[in-house]
Amino acid sequence: MSKLTKEIIALINDSESIKVLATADEEGNPCTAFKDSLTVLDNGNLAFGEEFEGSQTNVNLVRSIWFNKSVELTVRDRRGTTFQIKGKPYRYVHAGPLFKEFYLAEREKRGPDSELAGVWIITPEEVRNETYEVRKKEEDERHPFFRHFDRASVRKVK
Amino acid sequence: MNEDNHELGFEEVAAKYPDFPRLLIRKLDAELRGVALTERALERAKEEGCLYDASADLGQETPRPVLGGALFRDGSWVLGMEPMYLQFPQGYTRSGNTYSIDAVDGKLWLLDGDEPVEEVFFVPYPEYFGKKTSRGTPMVKVVSARLPGLLFVYLYNRCDFWAEQKPCKYCSFPTRVFRRKPGYTQEGLDDLYETMNEALKEKGKWMNIVLLAGSNLSGNSPYDNEVDEYVKVLTTLRKSFGTEKVYAKMVASAFSREQLLRLKEAGATTYQPHIEVWDEKLFEWICPGKAKYFGRQYWIDSALSAVEIFGRGYVCTQFVGGVELMKPYGFKTIDEALESTLEGADFFARHGVGPIAIIHRLEKGTVFYAQKQKPAPLEYYVRLMKGISDLHRKYNLSVDFNNYRCHPTGDMDRLHTAAREGVEGGN
Repeated sequence: MSKLTKEIIALINDSESIKVLATADEEGNPCTAFKDSLTVLDNGNLAFGEEFEGSQTNVNLVRSIWFNKSVELTVRDRRGTTFQIKGKPYRYVHAGPLFKEFYLAEREKRGPDSELAGVWIITPEEVRNETYEVRKKEEDERHPFFRHFDRASVRKVK
Repeated sequence: MNEDNHELGFEEVAAKYPDFPRLLIRKLDAELRGVALTERALERAKEEGCLYDASADLGQETPRPVLGGALFRDGSWVLGMEPMYLQFPQGYTRSGNTYSIDAVDGKLWLLDGDEPVEEVFFVPYPEYFGKKTSRGTPMVKVVSARLPGLLFVYLYNRCDFWAEQKPCKYCSFPTRVFRRKPGYTQEGLDDLYETMNEALKEKGKWMNIVLLAGSNLSGNSPYDNEVDEYVKVLTTLRKSFGTEKVYAKMVASAFSREQLLRLKEAGATTYQPHIEVWDEKLFEWICPGKAKYFGRQYWIDSALSAVEIFGRGYVCTQFVGGVELMKPYGFKTIDEALESTLEGADFFARHGVGPIAIIHRLEKGTVFYAQKQKPAPLEYYVRLMKGISDLHRKYNLSVDFNNYRCHPTGDMDRLHTAAREGVEGGN
């Protein structure tokens, strides 16, 4: 069953939302990249186009698929609704119908000399709501002693 | 092969080399053991537009199924399926039980016995398959496509080393399907032009072309006529692409500096004179034609001199991994074999020539097949591929025209693509 709710799918499909992929290299150095083409496939997996074979992101994704490492996608809309999706690379597609669909979309977007190396498919494993209001409520409940005393919920401000 | 002569199996090799991706070990093992498709898998390939029947093109009455390609999850291709492609012989000496590809619970899997071990994906066959040129020539006979993004042009299917009964002992060249004599006619070039134009209409499909021919000693200077053929093809491709440079892999004989300059002028961007085996005595035994015309040093010098013309990283030389273990003159252990081959690879890399290696296929039609030789063990190939990729990294040497989409050496290079040429990779 897909880990993605209707709300998250709508957020991902919103062309205005910001989509960021985080990966790590062999030594754990982080690397983030915008992935505007992120979309949800019918089977609940996530897919995005990778423009360049030689990008650090692509190299990190190859390492992740080979050695079963996780990557993370963060999606945020204009109102601040934010979700982090941790997952594993399931497949790198550079031939066939799915690749062609992304390839032609890239051409449409960036013109006749644009490139698309492949399409990464990620299987979501864990989803966290990182929207500020949601996280604040969670933190206040779990860690009440990590609140400053001048906050309204701690001390009545005269 | 270890001290007690026990060859390590897949799981043992995977456990011994945890830094080498398990999936790539499977890929190498599949090449050594071979892969067969079940009836269910063939049916699935047909449904997905991935299986082409080339019998009409070949003038055969029995079906000749050709697969568009098969890929693992990481986008690397499934080896060991040569009988499913055009231009390969139909017989091999394999090691161990053959893998199979079957449909299991709606997905396609590579199976080791009954156990699904890796999911695989078929690739549609090219759109130009089934079409003919205006002269009525089936286009698949003019330009072949073997892997998902690779066009293949056999300039001609003849080799003077074979004619002199001095073939490279692993080579099955004359048994390949489409026979063409040296000497492209204008009609042949017109067919090539039409076929290339048709193939290139398919968007997002092609990333590489291989130009390949046997050694042709004829001409005013040795190999001159071979160069002439490459020039004809490059000129035609230049017309198809509408560019001065042709981004093709040119696998050819050892040419002189003058010959290489002619090729560059015709649009060539890369060059591969294959050394095949490094050890001097084994070179003479395994490649007697190359040894006679005109010796190991001549082939080495040709590669080195090509770097000055095409640039560092635009020249490769290939080792046929495993032939240096063939009996009776080959190395007795994989340690000795690897020491020799990687010494040669290091030499070339140091001089700007990208070393690459393939898995020695014991194909029907070769001297080694007839001799009933045995394939090198899986562990040897894991160490060879890692060793060569480590050299690419050590010398910061790109061999992108032999990348993982068209050559097995490129797989491990995917882990250091971003750091090459002293340039930081982008996002």
